[in-house]
Amino acid sequence: MSEKAAQKFIETYRGAQDVLPGADGWLARRREAAIDAFTQTGLPHRRLEEWKYTDLRQVLDRANLVPAPAHDGALVLPESQSATAFSAIGKYVLVFVNGVYQPGLSRLAHFPKGAELCALAEVLHEQWAKDIVERRFDEARQAENIVDLNTALMSDGACLRIRKGVKLDKPLHLLFLGADAGASHTRNLILLEDEAEATILETHIGEVASFADIVTDVALGEGAKLDHVKLQDESSEAIHLSTMRARLAASSKLSSFTLTLGCGVSRCQNFVLFSGEGAEANVDGAYALNGKQHLDHFCVIDHAVPGCTSHTLFKGVLDGASEGVFQGKVVVRPQAQKTDGRQMTHALLLSRDAAMNAKPELEIYADDVQCAHGSTVGELSKDAIFYLRSRGIPEAEARRLLVLAFLDETLELASHEGARDALKLLVSDWFSEAGL
Amino acid sequence: MSMLEIKNLHVTVDGKEILKGINLDIGAGEVHAIMGPNGSGKSTLSYVLAGRDGYEVTEGSVRFKGKDLLDMSVDERAAAGVFLAFQYPLEIPGVTTMNFLKTALNAQRKARGEEELDAVRFLKLVREKAKPLNVTDDMLKRALNVGYSGGEKKRAEVLQMSLLEPALAVLDETDSGLDIDALKTVAEGVNALRSPERAMVVITHYQRLLDYIVPDVVHVLSSGRIVKTGGKELAHELEKSGYAGYGADAA
Repeated sequence: MSEKAAQKFIETYRGAQDVLPGADGWLARRREAAIDAFTQTGLPHRRLEEWKYTDLRQVLDRANLVPAPAHDGALVLPESQSATAFSAIGKYVLVFVNGVYQPGLSRLAHFPKGAELCALAEVLHEQWAKDIVERRFDEARQAENIVDLNTALMSDGACLRIRKGVKLDKPLHLLFLGADAGASHTRNLILLEDEAEATILETHIGEVASFADIVTDVALGEGAKLDHVKLQDESSEAIHLSTMRARLAASSKLSSFTLTLGCGVSRCQNFVLFSGEGAEANVDGAYALNGKQHLDHFCVIDHAVPGCTSHTLFKGVLDGASEGVFQGKVVVRPQAQKTDGRQMTHALLLSRDAAMNAKPELEIYADDVQCAHGSTVGELSKDAIFYLRSRGIPEAEARRLLVLAFLDETLELASHEGARDALKLLVSDWFSEAGL
Repeated sequence: MSMLEIKNLHVTVDGKEILKGINLDIGAGEVHAIMGPNGSGKSTLSYVLAGRDGYEVTEGSVRFKGKDLLDMSVDERAAAGVFLAFQYPLEIPGVTTMNFLKTALNAQRKARGEEELDAVRFLKLVREKAKPLNVTDDMLKRALNVGYSGGEKKRAEVLQMSLLEPALAVLDETDSGLDIDALKTVAEGVNALRSPERAMVVITHYQRLLDYIVPDVVHVLSSGRIVKTGGKELAHELEKSGYAGYGADAA
């Protein structure tokens, strides 16, 4: 194989396999199988339908993939608005710098009984972690080689288990800071047992040419509820590859919201599998891009059982020569009657050079279902701008007002009220800074 | 003093001449009605005054309070005191009427070098202005004009005018789409704004509106020219005889 980036990953693995966490147990064997599989497939490229708009192979061939250094010594977290957006809300904080857990910067005091939170290395001896890592997803098979890469190289991550019926009293904040250029591979494991509840806020920030590969495995037990809000504000040199795989048992509920305000090349994948009836998944997001930023949201919702509800709404604003992608698929299996599945994506182009590719898909094999999908790409209405200006609102302010109004519909879907307000403020300030 | 002085105004839209030499002089405190058949150029005149794109002035001048109005941008005109009540007010999803009103008022105050109103003072003011127009708190909380009835949209326009207190208000077919009760409410709102410092241009196809907003002067616009000017009785004549006598090419 002549792929530069894939070779680099394989070399990194060979060099680090004895020191990666879990080197003496089941994970070592799992890693070996994963790197073998990855060696066979290599990195995805644009000739694969799912990667048509984001040629990961090409992007990574040009990237600095040397493992980012483990940060030692004192490091002060940035004070930027994005870095601090959730500081007043997240009671428990896990900080990762270059993908490595920083106990000194984290805050875990008074973590409630019945909930366990730790870094990846500390959880590998537990059966639940093994189960969740070894889980293979049919509906996520497109992501399998990306997950294999992560499985082989994952070095750290946040692992949260909430016992049956326990409700995490305050949000958990996971802060990922890219402080140096280079690659990191993070694996987060989230298990909410039956009737357990939690809110997880996630922030990705950095001013460097990092490559962050993050896989988050989520398992929700019956009646469990997870609210997830992710904020991404990374440098325009950063490459971000995140994959969430969530399995939802009966009557559980997942609400996941992603706001992207800064990235270089970003691919965010969400795979949701309904494994029990009456569950609900809301996977939504907003983004504002400029320059040459590239953001690809890829979202597959698998209705494998009857009576589940899934809603997806992504709205974005693209300026400069930025490019957005939305690829989504709702699969309704033959037995999944009474499914309610909706998938919408809307984009507003603020510049002639910006581009949007949208491909929402429905694959329905059951007949008693309610499904809808749709996509729009447009620009600001000149008539609306004239109307606002005719009331004395300067053009820039009129445009800002209309753009914020456009994004507001989806920002409202962020599940945690405090986080929602924080995101709205960030978006509003983003437009002030962008001078729109 | 002359509030609005239009001299020999020629305007083309998409290369077609719509206004062919308008002359108009409106003093402070006066209400002028401009009547005319469809296609005579009434709405074009209102959009040119507001500064809409796509309306090219090829000849003539417009002076507002002695200043060159055509030299000002859309929002500068508004801040200087020009207000156009739209025939079809636009729906703006996602922007609440309240937020819109506050943004507009404070943008104008800022442009004029006045202090911006804080939330409390603004709320008090807007409630005071909204009440006589029967604009409810619920309407103010909803997205601007979204899901408003025809009457609600026109009442919202008059509320904007009342709040922004323009020196020159141009009402473009404010009567269209209104039943008689809604028309009365809107007309009362407009009449309450008549003042010696304010001039108004009421554009309408029908005389009906002028029974409620009684003009000082009536102009008949036909094929892009003012073909007759008279007192308020002219409106009644038109109601009887129609526009047939004013330019054969009027539809």
